[in-house]
Amino acid sequence: MSELIAKLKSEIKRLFDEDVVDVVIAFKKADSPLRPQPAFYRKGDSLEDLEYNSLCQNNLANYLTRYPHETRIGIVVRGCESRSVNALVVEKQHPRENLFKIGIPCQGIVDLRKIVKQTGEDVSGYKEDQEKISVVFKNKEYQFDRKDVLHDSCLRCVHPNPVNPDVLLGDPLPEGDPGVLRQAVESFEALTKQERYTWFQQEAERCIRCYACREACPMCYCTECFVDHNPPRWTESTISPAGTQAWHIIRAFHQTGRCTSCGACERACPMDIKMTYLTDKLNEDMLNQYDFAPGMDDTTQPPFASFNLDDKNRFVA
Amino acid sequence: MMYILEKKKLNKILSTWAQEHEVFVPQKVEEYSQFLPYTEDSELALKSPHNTRYPPKALFLPQSEVMLKFNNRTQKYEEVNTTPKSRLVFGVRPCDAKAFRLLDTVFDAEDYADPYWKAKRDATILIGIGCEVPPSTCFCTTVGGGPFNQDGLDAILTELEGSYLVQILTEKAETLFASLSPATIEQEKQVEAIQTKAHDSMSPAFETDGLKQKLDQIFESSYWDKISESCLGCGICTFLCPTCFCFDIVDEVQRKERVRNWDTCMFRIYSQEASGHNPRPTRRERTRQRLMHKYSYWLDHIDEIGCTGCGRCVRYCPVGLDIRAMLRTANTHESEAVHA
Repeated sequence: MSELIAKLKSEIKRLFDEDVVDVVIAFKKADSPLRPQPAFYRKGDSLEDLEYNSLCQNNLANYLTRYPHETRIGIVVRGCESRSVNALVVEKQHPRENLFKIGIPCQGIVDLRKIVKQTGEDVSGYKEDQEKISVVFKNKEYQFDRKDVLHDSCLRCVHPNPVNPDVLLGDPLPEGDPGVLRQAVESFEALTKQERYTWFQQEAERCIRCYACREACPMCYCTECFVDHNPPRWTESTISPAGTQAWHIIRAFHQTGRCTSCGACERACPMDIKMTYLTDKLNEDMLNQYDFAPGMDDTTQPPFASFNLDDKNRFVA
Repeated sequence: MMYILEKKKLNKILSTWAQEHEVFVPQKVEEYSQFLPYTEDSELALKSPHNTRYPPKALFLPQSEVMLKFNNRTQKYEEVNTTPKSRLVFGVRPCDAKAFRLLDTVFDAEDYADPYWKAKRDATILIGIGCEVPPSTCFCTTVGGGPFNQDGLDAILTELEGSYLVQILTEKAETLFASLSPATIEQEKQVEAIQTKAHDSMSPAFETDGLKQKLDQIFESSYWDKISESCLGCGICTFLCPTCFCFDIVDEVQRKERVRNWDTCMFRIYSQEASGHNPRPTRRERTRQRLMHKYSYWLDHIDEIGCTGCGRCVRYCPVGLDIRAMLRTANTHESEAVHA
């Protein structure tokens, strides 16, 4: 990891020295070694605290939409982040020419909740290599196989390599198995209609409407979300089955053909609510019916956002 | 008075109480914990080194509370009776109990008492449990509390091998434990040592002396741009916070109810005015509001910090923002020219 961080630092330094970018979005070390934070470096800033490891939980593409289009942004991207950036470029949220994507092939994000479940809280030290993750709890070292402690979304990842990065640091990894991506959808589909509804209810109705899922998602960049609209109010803000279910369904639908399955929503959720089974299913439909996967390039409009006079479905005419 | 409650008798005593009171205990939900009504099948989550993830403030200030109903037939509002039957909350941590006392200064103030809050507070007995090994994310001692702080509690438990020592703190709790055998002098001494050790294990997280003055001074500083840069603007820190009490009253017209919902200064629409103007237009102003409220405005009102160091905002922030680090940075931030 330290070799990669060194490469990352020298690349960022080069970008500032050669005046390629105004800001670089990356991760930095925080007080707790287990919680690296999003960081924003500008020319002249020390890169001393720059961090990169499998504990970097956030999708950095989320911050792109905070900058004016003229800002030249350098951004550290893993597979999902690069696709989120592409999807944002397609939606004209930042011009491609003002972006510099520093790509890193991603081995998946570690889910601390999975580790803590086995050790206990207040894990301190952290180390990782290709295969193993180790932490220290109460002065004792615990070692885990990487695949046992990765986030569910990362276990299902199909494209760990950044798509069209401007520079790639590290060796490309083998692509993931699309069959694995199906697993969450498959197990949901295997349920009866009533069971599916019960599952959805149990998940959605724990929601406290903190909107961390929305705020953690790079594709949720609306200035005014439908739940915040007033008047008219599109949905109840009261914590009721109707309100929370509406939020979860509409949030998922707005992601159709846009979600890059990064799982940032589930990682942010304070109530451990599963959400990706919905967006993964919608993505699967997009792939099967429109041969479209979000973020695989930075020019193709998602099917539900494209308007074309030659559209083969002439239902409007 | 101090009693010994054997762990194996815990369920029995809870069941006994449940005959007279509505009893709430921390219980596991998915991978987190929350206070839920006690039943014989309840799996108690008392082992955690810290408080429940979902805050017990919801027992007094529910996330959504119906205040009035509108009757279509009579064309009149009907009051909703929110007075609960006698309640007993078992397993409250000292940080959360202190927060109830702080919130009483808001909802049960001299000039105005909120009937919804007050009815529930008056009907509730709080049995606390101290934190023997406070985790690194907690900082109660920094803000005037402690892992065995008695503030706001009617009784507090300290865990021993196979039992709990119960310290009775108010009249409300006196009769509850009367059937138990009293603690021995030795056990009392043992508990004192446990409590002191827990307290001493927590080092100060930041300097509170002069912090308010410092924050007031740097109100317009670039400090806020820096510390709010990675903030997502979600409601986790405030919704899970035991002392955050902001609410929004809405008319849910379809269900003909007037409801009070939790609200948060971290949301854009919180301060959005009908004109379209927003006095807190960015995360900079919203983050500032959160910190200033706890570490400056509360002091203006009651001369106490409005944070109990419960650690939830530190533990559950999706971008790892740590209020302690923010305040340390504030303390060392050089005052500068007024922000443009």
